Amino acid sequence: MTEKPAAPAPHAPSSQRLEPLRHVDAGVLNIAYYEAGPADGPAVMLMHGFPYDIHSYVDVAPQLAAQGCRVIVPYLRGYGPTRFRDPATPRSGEQAAVGADMMALMDALDIKRAVFAGYDWGGRAACVGAALWPERCIGLVCVNSYLIQDIANAMAPAPAAREVALWYQYYFNIERGRAGLAANRREIGKILWTQWSPNWRFDDACFARTALAFDNPDYVDVVIHSYRHRYGLAESDPQYAEIQRRLAALPPITVPAITLDGAGDGVAPATDGSRSASKFTGRRVHRVVPRVGHNLPQEAPEAFTAAVMELIKA
Amino acid sequence: MSGPVDRGRRLLLGAALSGVAGSAFAKASSAAAPLRRMEPLKHVDAGVLDIAYYEAGPADGPVAILLHGFPYDIHSYVDVAPQLADQGCRVIVPCLRGFGGTRFRDPATPRSGEQAAIGADVIALMDALNIRRAVLGGHNWGGRAACVAAALWPERCRGMVTVNSYLIQDLARAAVPIQPKHETALWYEYYFQLERGRAGLAAHRREIAKLLWKQWSPAWHFDDATFDRSAAAHDNPDYVDVVIHSYRHRFGAAAGDPRYAELQQRLAPLPPISVPSITLDGDKDGVLPASDGRASASKFTGQRMHRVVHGAGHNVPQEAPKAFADAVLDLMHT
Repeated sequence: MTEKPAAPAPHAPSSQRLEPLRHVDAGVLNIAYYEAGPADGPAVMLMHGFPYDIHSYVDVAPQLAAQGCRVIVPYLRGYGPTRFRDPATPRSGEQAAVGADMMALMDALDIKRAVFAGYDWGGRAACVGAALWPERCIGLVCVNSYLIQDIANAMAPAPAAREVALWYQYYFNIERGRAGLAANRREIGKILWTQWSPNWRFDDACFARTALAFDNPDYVDVVIHSYRHRYGLAESDPQYAEIQRRLAALPPITVPAITLDGAGDGVAPATDGSRSASKFTGRRVHRVVPRVGHNLPQEAPEAFTAAVMELIKA
Repeated sequence: MSGPVDRGRRLLLGAALSGVAGSAFAKASSAAAPLRRMEPLKHVDAGVLDIAYYEAGPADGPVAILLHGFPYDIHSYVDVAPQLADQGCRVIVPCLRGFGGTRFRDPATPRSGEQAAIGADVIALMDALNIRRAVLGGHNWGGRAACVAAALWPERCRGMVTVNSYLIQDLARAAVPIQPKHETALWYEYYFQLERGRAGLAAHRREIAKLLWKQWSPAWHFDDATFDRSAAAHDNPDYVDVVIHSYRHRFGAAAGDPRYAELQQRLAPLPPISVPSITLDGDKDGVLPASDGRASASKFTGQRMHRVVHGAGHNVPQEAPKAFADAVLDLMHT
């Protein structure tokens, strides 16, 4: 499609919060989420990553709402005011769980279909939802393309330079890393923001706004479990075993998809999309956004919003 | 002793904790000049190992044993060794277990990389060569070996030179996090805890080592030939096992070789070093930031001087050989 280049909307100040939040019981969680836009508009699920929060969408959400979308921006398990309903539920951070949470939220809100959009953990949740429940998915917008984890091959090493960028994942696999995350969650979060988005000049208030979400009582457990599970070093929550079994086959994504890479992404280097092409069996467009880092919706909200709108208009 | 030529420089100890030594001179690399290798190597059965080592200098000179680190090899001392030999020292530069031409004598010996083992290897080498006392100099693993030997066998050690001060590991506190900005530099240690890290080291040992050289010595402009000369030592058949064990043992994730259990028990309380010591920090060290030496002061109960070497990174003996050699010679004069 052709678009007239519009002047980019001014970015929200770092003091602006996505408020008020709503709460809904959804599956094992009581999910806190931000909602904007007309209730009868096409729904868009905007899924954040680690170590971020819903404010990755502080500019995307109003842009989509202004164009008629019903925007739902949930706090993932372990973040912000989202809570586990039962203290006995394992604090899993596995991919099947974050994908199932999104579907549970749609069920709870009686949303039949939506665009699934995300990056990092949220992109993974979106991929899981799109792959396993395509009938619920209008289309997928995902940063870093296909994000379902190939746990069976997680012990295959990458080139050394790539492994360095994953230092936190290895750190979180030892108890020192758990203690470090618990004691220094803000410092670690800020280091990762800086490493992953080397061209992004976020201010302290911008980081602090998001870092509040890391004070969730389940944050450390969920994060640590996530980074151990993906290496096969933590047990799955049995209630997700069937979903994980289906994900192990690395199922294709059949819904229309737009994948975005930031050319300045410091943790998942930009690609031309060709290596993941076989995982997208429907229409798929891949774009590289110049200079932008890993937190693409917050760094380049217009590009992210445009991708969502293209799927809605298609 | 008649020993090395007395250059009139006495070791000044006590008052000044922190001194300044020399500078690292970035040498212009010359593609035409062939790189010097430390050859020929000698071999000796020493404890569980057949140790390959380089020797230089007069057989009756005061002995300096120079201990390399990871992921380096004996060529960290390629310029230090001749400087010391010229000054009358008998210089011994062994390949550590898992590196270069050193081999385990028994295929059944556990390929341990624990601190007690590399310290015991030094003493075994001294025994095998009938060396009663020596100055022990080292950096990284080699500095740790020197600290272990100096702490547990002070009667064998006439002095110690280490980079990064006191290096005996406090295994009981290995799970206590440090500042995140310093944790990031230890990525390889966490990586090696996973089987992915073992596979990665086996498959990409050169790439990983080169990356660490660059991270740890950001101001050192070594050329490919210089790196390759050392990286050849990483083809040792025990390299991966010893390295992985070393980094797991220090986090309590791998059991020690039982033969070193008693030594490790003695290392656990972090014994002091009583022999005269000179500690060096490179002010461009990218993995262990330079200190003023105070935090480790209580671990040195004898004479100790701390020096910051300007311009040097983690591989101080190779980056600033004169500063390292001078420290060894200063101890020879005491």
